Amino acid sequence: MKLSEFCRDRLPAYGIGLAAWLLTLIFLYAFRVSGEAMVIVSVVLLLGAVSAESWAFLRKKQYYDKLLHCLEGLDQKYLLPEIAEDPGFLDGHLLYGVLQETERSMCEHIAGYRRESREFREFIELWVHEVKLPVASLALMCHNDGDARYDEQLRRIDADIEKVLYYARSGEDARDYLFRSVSLKKALAQVAVQNRAQLQELHITLQTQALDTEVITDGKWLGFILGQLMANSMQYGASQITVTAQVLPDRTLLSFRDNGIGIAASDLPYLFEKSFTGQNGRTHARSTGMGLYLVKKLCDKLGHGVAVQSVQGAFTEVTLTFGRNDLHMVTKM
Amino acid sequence: MKRILILEDDAALRSELSVLLQNAGYAVQAVTDYTDASAQLLEASCDLILLDIGLPGVNGQALLQALRRERDTPVIMLTSRSGELDEVLSMSCGADDYITKPYNPTILLLRISAVLKRSARSTAAQTYRDALVSTVRGTLTRGDREEVLTKNEMLIFQLLLDRQGEIVTRDALMTVLWDNDEFVNDNALSVNISRLRGKLSALGLPDAIETRKKQGYVLR
Repeated sequence: MKLSEFCRDRLPAYGIGLAAWLLTLIFLYAFRVSGEAMVIVSVVLLLGAVSAESWAFLRKKQYYDKLLHCLEGLDQKYLLPEIAEDPGFLDGHLLYGVLQETERSMCEHIAGYRRESREFREFIELWVHEVKLPVASLALMCHNDGDARYDEQLRRIDADIEKVLYYARSGEDARDYLFRSVSLKKALAQVAVQNRAQLQELHITLQTQALDTEVITDGKWLGFILGQLMANSMQYGASQITVTAQVLPDRTLLSFRDNGIGIAASDLPYLFEKSFTGQNGRTHARSTGMGLYLVKKLCDKLGHGVAVQSVQGAFTEVTLTFGRNDLHMVTKM
Repeated sequence: MKRILILEDDAALRSELSVLLQNAGYAVQAVTDYTDASAQLLEASCDLILLDIGLPGVNGQALLQALRRERDTPVIMLTSRSGELDEVLSMSCGADDYITKPYNPTILLLRISAVLKRSARSTAAQTYRDALVSTVRGTLTRGDREEVLTKNEMLIFQLLLDRQGEIVTRDALMTVLWDNDEFVNDNALSVNISRLRGKLSALGLPDAIETRKKQGYVLR
């Protein structure tokens, strides 16, 4: 709070003070009071007014400067009412009350949405759990009848159900992951077996290099992420997929590379945006722009890095970065 | 004949599972009334139990713990909840394996036979006709002749041997190989089988593997 701002705000009050002072002078003059007395009265009034104003200014400056400073330092501005103090003066006190009241109301509002979104997510998880039963039954029926005709469609249904599940899990309030040491080889093998029929139908060869290593992650989530990458490779004309792990001192890199149609350089910066389909989306049916968006969101939640390199017409390479957690090594030191 | 007990509350899934297992040569017993599932589970005598995690009114993991206090019959957990936590909990409660719905039938059968094999602790060497099969050393021995099989050839031979006399589809062979991190293609499978045939001929068993057109292979 600047002194000039404060004075400008108080200008009407100063005007009234000035008028009262002039009026006083007129009265004093009319009562034939001596000039010295009039000067003394004026000085006393001025001193009184100046000290009263300074006191008021300093009091407010102290409080509001602190409040503004807090606001600036806050990451989440809406948390201000939590740390604001109740000042000793009236208008500040009123403002404090208003802040508290609006915060309470906003918290209730948000709690309502949060509950709604949690309930929705729980319902989705339950629904996914339910809908997998008939899918599982159908898969077994097809197998028992020796009819492989429906397998591919069932696989697609299952993949789409998984997508819904992980979309729900990628939300703000979802925390249902579990970090464990996961073998990259096992994680990839699971995804490969699930997609085997389609990979072979498309004559895609799958190669792995140096996957005999473990990373700290949630195995199921990693499986989903790899599944999305594999689905992309299958959709965008790959004939070879190479999965390579590279162990560095502080992290492990997993690169998933295919020799498909690649991605235009102009599309690269937007790949992880929701519903972004880019040039490839216009030439290929069934692009939803959800796959890489979900990959990015899940990686962010798990704390893994993800980056895409590509040259159109040559290759696409997605690199996942897993941090190395050495906390468990403490005892060995 | 190995007996398998199924605890799965979805009727359609249960009956299809029964058919699958019966076709694969197991004796199947399925629990249909879940009011006292735990009592039936504890009383049943079987070689392996397929246990659904989400049975009505009772938690599959609690059921498993109760069973483990009594017996160590091998248990494979079935679930449609694809969370890591369920898997960890199940394994720590003493499950032998864990499979998420919808399962690949071939893989389900593989897991079942693997768990049964492990529980039988059959360290006794397997034989095919008069040839000795050593999966540990990866060799086939007949008389004084020994052939070393590659990992792929051994996986193929093992599956054919497990289902000796039955038709094994190329698809099933492929699934086994892929499940063991060997991502071979159609051509590579044919090459592996012809090499395996070559090695069997060298042991004096030239007609061991028979090709059934458009169906698969049979180990005679």
